[in-house]
Amino acid sequence: MLLRWARSRARHTRALARLYSGLGTGSSGYKECDVVIVGGGPAGLAFASALAANKALDGSVKVTLVEGGDLDKVRDWEMPPDAFSNRVVSLTNASQDFLDEIGAWVHLDAERTCPIEDMQVWDGISDARIDFSAAALGLGRGKGSSQMARLTETLNLQRGLLQHLSGQSNITLLDSTKVENIFSDDIPGGGWPVVQLSNGNVLRARLLVGADGINSPVRSYSKIDSYGWDYNTRAIVATLLHPPRIFPAFLPTGPIAFLPLSDTASSLVWSTTPALAAVLTKADPAILAGMINAAFRLPERSVRFLHRRLLEQPSLSPEDLRTEIAFREQAHTIAPHSAYASATINPEDASVGIPPHGAEALPPLVASIQPGTIASFPLRLRHAEEYIGSRTVLIGDAAHIVHPLAGQGLNLGLGDAAALARCVSTALALGGDIGSRTALTPYARERYFENHKVMSAVDKLHKLYASTAPPVVWARSTGLEVLNELDTIKAGIVGAAGGQSSARAGAGLFWDTVASGVETLVGGARVAEAVGSGLQSVAGGILQQLARAAAGPENDRR
Amino acid sequence: MLPRSRARLLVSTLARPSLRQHVCALHTSPRRLAEQQPPFSTVNDAEIAHFSRLSALWWDERGEFALLHKMNAHRMRFIREKLLSDRPPDAPSRALAGLDALDVGCGGGILSEATQSLARLGASTLAVDASAENVHIASRHAAADARLADALAFRCASVEELVREPRRFDVVCSMEVVEHVDNPAAFVRACAELVRPGGHLFLSTVARTPLAYLLTIVAAERLLRLVEPGTHTFSKYINPDELVGFFAKPLVPGARPWISRTYAHGLPTRTEAEVRGIVYVPWRGDWVLAPRATTPWSSQVNYLFWVRRPYDS
Repeated sequence: MLLRWARSRARHTRALARLYSGLGTGSSGYKECDVVIVGGGPAGLAFASALAANKALDGSVKVTLVEGGDLDKVRDWEMPPDAFSNRVVSLTNASQDFLDEIGAWVHLDAERTCPIEDMQVWDGISDARIDFSAAALGLGRGKGSSQMARLTETLNLQRGLLQHLSGQSNITLLDSTKVENIFSDDIPGGGWPVVQLSNGNVLRARLLVGADGINSPVRSYSKIDSYGWDYNTRAIVATLLHPPRIFPAFLPTGPIAFLPLSDTASSLVWSTTPALAAVLTKADPAILAGMINAAFRLPERSVRFLHRRLLEQPSLSPEDLRTEIAFREQAHTIAPHSAYASATINPEDASVGIPPHGAEALPPLVASIQPGTIASFPLRLRHAEEYIGSRTVLIGDAAHIVHPLAGQGLNLGLGDAAALARCVSTALALGGDIGSRTALTPYARERYFENHKVMSAVDKLHKLYASTAPPVVWARSTGLEVLNELDTIKAGIVGAAGGQSSARAGAGLFWDTVASGVETLVGGARVAEAVGSGLQSVAGGILQQLARAAAGPENDRR
Repeated sequence: MLPRSRARLLVSTLARPSLRQHVCALHTSPRRLAEQQPPFSTVNDAEIAHFSRLSALWWDERGEFALLHKMNAHRMRFIREKLLSDRPPDAPSRALAGLDALDVGCGGGILSEATQSLARLGASTLAVDASAENVHIASRHAAADARLADALAFRCASVEELVREPRRFDVVCSMEVVEHVDNPAAFVRACAELVRPGGHLFLSTVARTPLAYLLTIVAAERLLRLVEPGTHTFSKYINPDELVGFFAKPLVPGARPWISRTYAHGLPTRTEAEVRGIVYVPWRGDWVLAPRATTPWSSQVNYLFWVRRPYDS
């Protein structure tokens, strides 16, 4: 009797196993998928695109992308040529090469992209600056013009990727669909992730890709912690309109980045205290415009005074602000028609005739702000402790959140997508199981340190430039000025970064440049200090102060 | 009662041949593949017990068999390269469709996953192991993967049993097995018999060199504990030239040998057989498959061996 029971049970188990093993929906109601991507942001879409574009896979990999939002809004996104969305990304050359390789670049609206050929890294306090010119430093791509990066709107990129995906048969896009739950299957020998969707589908994934942002459900399912901190800072973004002028990108090492989108429009990223951000985003747009113009032109002391004034009286009218700025200009003996005057000049007039002396060192005067584009978001740093879980992998913001200087986070995300796609194709070519840790390790090995390097460089830049302590300002300004004169070193920095092949599609030329720039900057400051100590014996004291001030912002994170 | 660690030490000194014996083995270097008559079963009960005990760990990719998991991609690269050398890979993800493959000593099924990879790459694959536990683990793990259902089968069997059956294969793999069997010559002969004319035989093992002793036994087992102590037995390692020599002689009296000539360092013609070193690089945490044109130094420790059965043998 017992024997018969055992035998029938064995038969039952075998029948079950056969049911499970059939492709498609098993008896458990799971739908079998090779790759499930959660999140339809740029990183998720780019990864799906890269898989779709890989001819070597010849459709043998079934990919499902799940997105909570409505992707039709992105697909049908349209804007007049002279208006721009406020979320802008500067795509590094490496990111562009990747998009080009997978065939997505042609789907981007080229009219809505703008190359960055010249760039100024500029100290908001001491006015020290360093110029990078792509042409002079021999940067850029073989085809087309030389450029350091290309600015475009995030929506333009997403729309392009969606268009690229629309013709692919092995990619299923499920938008307006939320992930309700992720759990492990209970199939013997399995333990694969199962994703329960709001539309009733239940997907069993060989590989679950978390491209689902800072509060990634995939990361929580994988039990991967992330570490990091919040900067006590918010970034204000807006689209600025100004009289036509061609000008270099002003890099956000100081508080404000001013990035050209076209001759008449620019993108703003202004990192500032949460209190000031709250006032500026709620106030009359003319106030923000006035403050931006003043920030580039008035000495730092006065700019700080204006900030305090606005915090004390958030209801300040644009006229009052204009009077205030005009008064400060007078106090600093800035002539009413010089390049450094903003309150007494109508921006429209400034573009007529010969520009005053020194105008090329400044971004154009902001005339107005495109309505509805002012927004702000908190600055944070997060890095997952691992990228790989049990049949799960993290890419993009789910893996790392970086101080959003010129949209580097997105470039890192695209780098992740490229590396993961490469890793998956290699594993497939060797018959590997793409969900296994062994198959995914090359991805983590390629990206983790690479991302960490860029995040760390950006973090140090933020801390270096967040300080207003005189020794720090002196050291960084001296370093910057010294560096700017040494063309060979400058070319060396960029040259070393330019030597890397685009196939690596790493963190990108530009940020490697900045990363090594920071290192050199520190070296430059040291040289300057050595010179200083020869002349004055107080250099030792300065060094001590410097060390103390440098330790100051470091302590913030704890 | 002895403390645990001491008991273990006692067992290990009793159970393993002494270092002196190993050194003797280095000097005398008996031809391991010399025929031992009469051929008996190649299954070694102690080895089977050892791997059965570890069978639950096969699929912990960071545990006992981490090194094997990492090695698999490189083995597959070699296998793929050899199998596809005479046909263009037009559909890379199903490159091996239509081939019959056998994996002897599949363990937890890693390689048979690779063979299964062979299965994933389209080959219909049979994986056998003499340990019932291993076969159980391997088939359970594979059952969770729907894509493998049609292409992969598992059996608990020894290679001698298979030889008695009529089925023959295009590809026979036996990875890291030869150094664990009794009478390796009979084992290799049986594997070779299972290959169809024109088919391929892949073996991988460890060379019997001082360096191999140092790395696989002293370093990996005793110092770093990357591998469970007792996994390897130095005297059972096989040198590449012994394998080449084995196939340079006729397997059946009067038949054509699989390797017709050899060159300097005893290397065979590349169209007939190949020895390729595979080296673990600790600071990379990964294996490196030696390039084709390297000195025999690369195959001083782990190596892969490929030989092709002539159509007329």
